[in-house]
Amino acid sequence: MAEHPGPVEGPLLAVEDLSVTFQHRGGPPTRAVDGVSFTVDPGEVVGIVGESGSGKSVTSMAVMGLLPARTSRVTGSARFDDRDLLRMPDAERSRLRGKEIAMVFQDPMSSLNPVLTVGLQITEVLQRHQQVGRAEAREQAVELLHRVGIPDPRRRVGEYPHQLSGGMRQRALIAVALACRPRLLICDEPTTALDVTIQAQVLELLRELVADLGTAMIMITHDLGVVAGLCDRVNVMYAGRVVESAGRRDLFAAPRHRYTEGLLASIPRLDAPRGEGLTPIPGTPRDTVGWDRACAFAPRCRHASDGCVRPDLALEPMAPRSGEVEHLVRCVHPAPVGAPEHLEGAR
Amino acid sequence: MSGTDGTGAGTSGREDVLLEVEDLRVHFPIRRGIVFDRTIGHVRAVDGVSLRIARGTTYGLVGESGCGKSTLGRALLRLNEPTSGRIVLDGTDVRALGREPLRRFRRRMQMVFQDPLSSLDPRQSVQSLLTEPLRVHGLDEADRGRLGGNGERAHVERAAELLEVVGLPRSALARYPHEFSGGQRQRIGIARAMVLNPELVVADEPVSALDVSVQAQVINLLEELQELLGLTYLVIAHDLAVVRHISDTIGVMYLGVIVEEAPSDALYEQPLHPYTLALMSAIPVPDPAVEDARERILLAGDLPSPANPPAGCRFHTRCPFAQERLCADTVPELREVAPGRRVACHWAEEIRDGRITAHRVDPDATVTADVRPGTSGPSGTDLDPLAVP
Repeated sequence: MAEHPGPVEGPLLAVEDLSVTFQHRGGPPTRAVDGVSFTVDPGEVVGIVGESGSGKSVTSMAVMGLLPARTSRVTGSARFDDRDLLRMPDAERSRLRGKEIAMVFQDPMSSLNPVLTVGLQITEVLQRHQQVGRAEAREQAVELLHRVGIPDPRRRVGEYPHQLSGGMRQRALIAVALACRPRLLICDEPTTALDVTIQAQVLELLRELVADLGTAMIMITHDLGVVAGLCDRVNVMYAGRVVESAGRRDLFAAPRHRYTEGLLASIPRLDAPRGEGLTPIPGTPRDTVGWDRACAFAPRCRHASDGCVRPDLALEPMAPRSGEVEHLVRCVHPAPVGAPEHLEGAR
Repeated sequence: MSGTDGTGAGTSGREDVLLEVEDLRVHFPIRRGIVFDRTIGHVRAVDGVSLRIARGTTYGLVGESGCGKSTLGRALLRLNEPTSGRIVLDGTDVRALGREPLRRFRRRMQMVFQDPLSSLDPRQSVQSLLTEPLRVHGLDEADRGRLGGNGERAHVERAAELLEVVGLPRSALARYPHEFSGGQRQRIGIARAMVLNPELVVADEPVSALDVSVQAQVINLLEELQELLGLTYLVIAHDLAVVRHISDTIGVMYLGVIVEEAPSDALYEQPLHPYTLALMSAIPVPDPAVEDARERILLAGDLPSPANPPAGCRFHTRCPFAQERLCADTVPELREVAPGRRVACHWAEEIRDGRITAHRVDPDATVTADVRPGTSGPSGTDLDPLAVP
């Protein structure tokens, strides 16, 4: 359906050693992202999972060039089609944004312009990036709204964001993002502000669109459940670094990093028998040490030992169980492959 | 209704009911006009809810935003004034209480709020926050004896005790809310609710503002406290997985009414109301094997306005099982279909036995599709009832 130019070989996006440091006035610099590397193949759905403060959103903002230059320092590279997004002139990046890479944010009310009609916000993108006239663009906008499942698109195209419900706004935002058929769609918590039944609608829509259009997608979320049903590959982030990267089947059936394992054991599952206790991760995400000294998760880890106090732990390959994709883990005491703790009760 | 002697046992027959709610309604007026403050309608946030909570158990209330679950929780404590109905806590009619008796009565029912950062005064130290309820209500008789009087020192002692119970050090007394992490702040919020030895605690989304890795700590804490202090909980949450984990009984709300009520396990094993089915099938499970295998019931459209709820069954406009008969014109009663199981659906048995299958719902259509028992709609093939994994 979608014919995309560009290389067939190799990843669509290759982020390498990406670091982001924020400089606060008067305060010490804060490293939000610390040497993150990952790739996204054409048509692939890659998940980035982490809690607030893990650096997952900052990673995507840095890739899109959306961080304020004055207070943030971005190093590393993000190659999209062999062009480095981080070293690109602003004008060139603007041409790419919205056309080849698009983004869907968490809160559609603050990412849609409240004083412009939904239709205008779609035609704006189309007219900017594609040589289409106004009437043609409007037709396409109606088509797009229809495609994302907004009922009565011909009427809705002339309405303002406040006239739409939360779920419809998010659909409209997805329509804006998809207007130019981007090759990469970055979704930052696209369903977190929505109710579960609406979330299910939007996730289903994204799943369909990605399959139909062959768009690659980065799904940033804190919800492991969302990732489990959607992503080909999952990167788990903690304190600014990727601590585990695996195919979704491997990750959930045999999590190797103690943080991933702990997270899965601490979530109440709908299908777990009642009375089954939860095993929380002790402490809070604030209890951390710098990666330059030790494993940042060590202060909260039940398996931590003196061996964990070593600078710059590497992300090392493990034997993948099902041979999906490479299974990488940054841990001194990775969990054994076997029945993981969180599944013992459920099975 | 349980006895007025405070123990309640023996007078209520089967179980020791602490809280009984009957046909509770909370309507908010919609006002228009500058000169004349006319009321042009009502948002029926809670529209006829009846429930009972047995002493020492947890009742979980789930539903999506706008279903009225928080309003119901607040109305039980008369933080929102109910429009009509009865609330009986341990033999006392809460709605009949005057201002001063109500204030005194409040020590028996407390609330834990969603966002501890906005429910705790940022300018008060933890000590001040925890002793404030004691300054208002005074210590419990038992605590007075144990801690020596009802003075400031005894209050601080009680506050320190509670901190320890919720897992914070005594040194936290001198600190302020902003110095704590989200999970710790929620612990303070919980300690504040517990300091008066309440019997009923209404927890409104107690964990949804917390980080995933911290949620389990707070859930476990609530469970420990219940065991330790013999508390009765009403837990309000949008996350059915959380509610299922801690509740004995679950009530599912939709547009101001309870559409299904069941023991926690039974509800999960066999949801009877179409809305519960849809809600359960929508919740992502962190397990690819389950996710790949399950079939979803996707609801069409959004929640209708609670100011103008649909006639008949409130869910019929979005219900994939809606029938031509009854659904659009007759309000389904919350009827008992099995011991402890109540459901407000005309066709619950037929749906359970597979005699009615799901059909597609057009969110814009006002008339539901014609689907007779045993036949599926034009596009019914991809919308089979959920096979719960």
